Amino acid sequence: MTATIGLLGILLAAASSLGLMLQGYRAMRWPTLRSTALLRGPALGILLGAAAAMGALEVGILRDNFSIEYIADNSASTTPIVFKLASAWAALEGSIVLWGLVLATYVYLVYRQVARRAPEDRLGAGALLVLGVICLFFFGMMLTVSNPFRVCVEAGSIGCISGSNVPWADVMAPLEGRGPNPLLQNHLLMAIHPPMLYLGYVGMAVPFAYAMSALLLGRGGSDWLKQSRAWTLIAWGFLTTGIVLGGLWSYEVLGWGGYWAWDPVENASFLPWLTATAFVHSSVVQQRRGMLQAWNFVLVIATFALTILGTFLTRSGVIVSVHSFTQSAIGPVLLWFLLIVLVASFGLFASRIGVVASSPRLESLASREGVFLLNNLLLTLFAAVVLIGTLYPMFVEAFSGDQVGVGPPFFNRMAIPLSFGLLLAMGIGPITPYRAARASVVWERIRVPLRLALGAGAAAVVLRHRSPLLLLGVLTSTFVAFVIVRNLYRSARMMAEKREIGLAAAVLRVTRNDTGYWGGQIAHFGVALMALGIAVSAALTVEAEVTLRQGESATVADYELTYLGQFSRQEPNRFVIGADLLLSKDGRAVGRQQPRLNQYGTFSQNIATPAVEITPTGDLYLSLASINAERVVVEVWWFPYIWLVWVGGFTTGLAVLWSRLVRKPSRDTQPEQVAA
Amino acid sequence: MKLGYRRLAGSALTLAFAVIVVVGFVQGDPRPEDRVASLGASIKCPVCQGEAIIDSPSPTAEAMMEVVEQKVAAGETDQQIISYFQSRFGEGILLDPPLAGKTLAVWLLPALVAAGGVWMILSRRRAPASAEAVR
Repeated sequence: MTATIGLLGILLAAASSLGLMLQGYRAMRWPTLRSTALLRGPALGILLGAAAAMGALEVGILRDNFSIEYIADNSASTTPIVFKLASAWAALEGSIVLWGLVLATYVYLVYRQVARRAPEDRLGAGALLVLGVICLFFFGMMLTVSNPFRVCVEAGSIGCISGSNVPWADVMAPLEGRGPNPLLQNHLLMAIHPPMLYLGYVGMAVPFAYAMSALLLGRGGSDWLKQSRAWTLIAWGFLTTGIVLGGLWSYEVLGWGGYWAWDPVENASFLPWLTATAFVHSSVVQQRRGMLQAWNFVLVIATFALTILGTFLTRSGVIVSVHSFTQSAIGPVLLWFLLIVLVASFGLFASRIGVVASSPRLESLASREGVFLLNNLLLTLFAAVVLIGTLYPMFVEAFSGDQVGVGPPFFNRMAIPLSFGLLLAMGIGPITPYRAARASVVWERIRVPLRLALGAGAAAVVLRHRSPLLLLGVLTSTFVAFVIVRNLYRSARMMAEKREIGLAAAVLRVTRNDTGYWGGQIAHFGVALMALGIAVSAALTVEAEVTLRQGESATVADYELTYLGQFSRQEPNRFVIGADLLLSKDGRAVGRQQPRLNQYGTFSQNIATPAVEITPTGDLYLSLASINAERVVVEVWWFPYIWLVWVGGFTTGLAVLWSRLVRKPSRDTQPEQVAA
Repeated sequence: MKLGYRRLAGSALTLAFAVIVVVGFVQGDPRPEDRVASLGASIKCPVCQGEAIIDSPSPTAEAMMEVVEQKVAAGETDQQIISYFQSRFGEGILLDPPLAGKTLAVWLLPALVAAGGVWMILSRRRAPASAEAVR
């Protein structure tokens, strides 16, 4: 029954996608109130169908309906309720259902925007046509190669052995399900991180759809950018937050003390972020100065294509081995879709190049536009490096069978200089005038921030922290932060004098007057905090492995660790064994931590669950390497000020709220404020 | 005039800070370079999923780390140690691709992209002489 409802939902969504394509085409060609109104049915149908599918899957999981293969293989009756809900997207088929629901939500919201502007919004109608095509692909995939509602026709004692696409087949349900992958039921963040990431990933389809619509209509200009700007920023904010949450999850769960490993899965989320960030900036240049029109199309196509590539990389099994992806039916399908997207969109772009080719030229490299170009060059290069580094080993293995390694040392060597370049551009860009900037103007605006940044660097040297990377990190990140603070202070003081209001009120007024610009500055401030956190925590990490018998102590980074004893307990879904550690500093007990090893049901692998003592000056990170009756081996890390990474990252992701939600204080009701 | 003095004092302060920072850069990191760690981070654990031997808790990786430690203590160069592991496990063991052979392209392709990007930006710039003509 649940499977039938779910399948009917997907069917409804797929049929409505077809309807959206047809109606979208009509409303784009012959825009009338009626043709726009007819978009409502398909848009609502997609949303209802996708919600029914997701709902059916969740209900099935909560009711332990193991007659559905996906549920038998990815949930168990003993799984805690939060992780049951999250297991709906813990594996391939379910994650595509979530993908579909997110896409459906965006489609419905875009429809609402189009309906408000009816019947003039041919651009929006065309975007719905393109979104209809994307919907059709994903819901079609759920009906064929990635059916989440396959019923189990041959059950093992635990989990399902084989399933069938036909919902009325002879169902045989196992008594118990396998449960989610241990790594995915070890931390609450697993329930939040994937939906956030998907909201970002899938949201990139909207600006892409608007771009394609503009090309279909043969309309260059900036209308498509203006109408999709809000969607781009929202998707970007979700993507940023999703990536930071992913890093936090990795840090809290994996127990190796890091948050970023240049793993192909991480790179898959980072790649569209890089091009989307470039797009967020380059579209400002087009809206302000009319430049980069063709380039913006390239960036938006690249971003969307990279989200599909990312889905392919993470979902086809190609990472485990290049030869395994053909074993899953979904791999080749996604690869074909990617190819079609690339050929169709670049083909369309090439055929309409005449409407976009006439952008004005750059007057001077020393200008806001010039710095934007530098930003775009660096971000694109960054994306190219990550793309090449991620795909190259796969290509070599696929074509020659040889294995080559491209790992963190390569990525770091490339990423570090690029990041410093980006930070410098971020420091001077927002205070450099458009067109042609006089050096004296820029110098006046960076003089004091430069002094303060050098002061921070000098303080680090005096405190005997002299690693070059740390010093560069402190200099560049504090420079960016001080430039922003100075700029805000100056603008607010002028506003306060002009209007005779207090400084705090003036700060609020200034930032609300141009929410696009100041939203961007908040994001930049977050990036500066993050860069400072990365530089400090990486350069000043203290690492040690300690072996302790019961009652023994060891000292790491000013903390004395005393091993009080071992503990173990059976929980419904897992067996937990851990070490009880007393932490003291300067002879005073400051906390107790229990790093553990968790062993989940049928999975033999032990999952190390680190324990982290969070303090204002840093994290003491404890991960259990091994434990037996006699002694415990603990990996201990001290990461100073690592919270700056999370605070900065979330500030950046949430900054879009400022530019989208905050209203201008009074009178003028300009609808679209261009961010800078 | 008062403002002039303040500005002068500010510039002097900036200069003093800059000198201290430069001294810091010149002196470099007071912590000795950890060759074992950097080698351990650039050699892949052959039995794991893309983990470096320094990060992996597997017995193979730990044994390889011990070999690295012994060889560093015995005074072998980084290149010698890396060649040793490469000859035993193949090129796939290297996380830091060499600037030669099959992985040359990993280094050259980004350089090509960079050159192309710089060329594109410079060619988009309005030539000063023809500035009026274009307008």
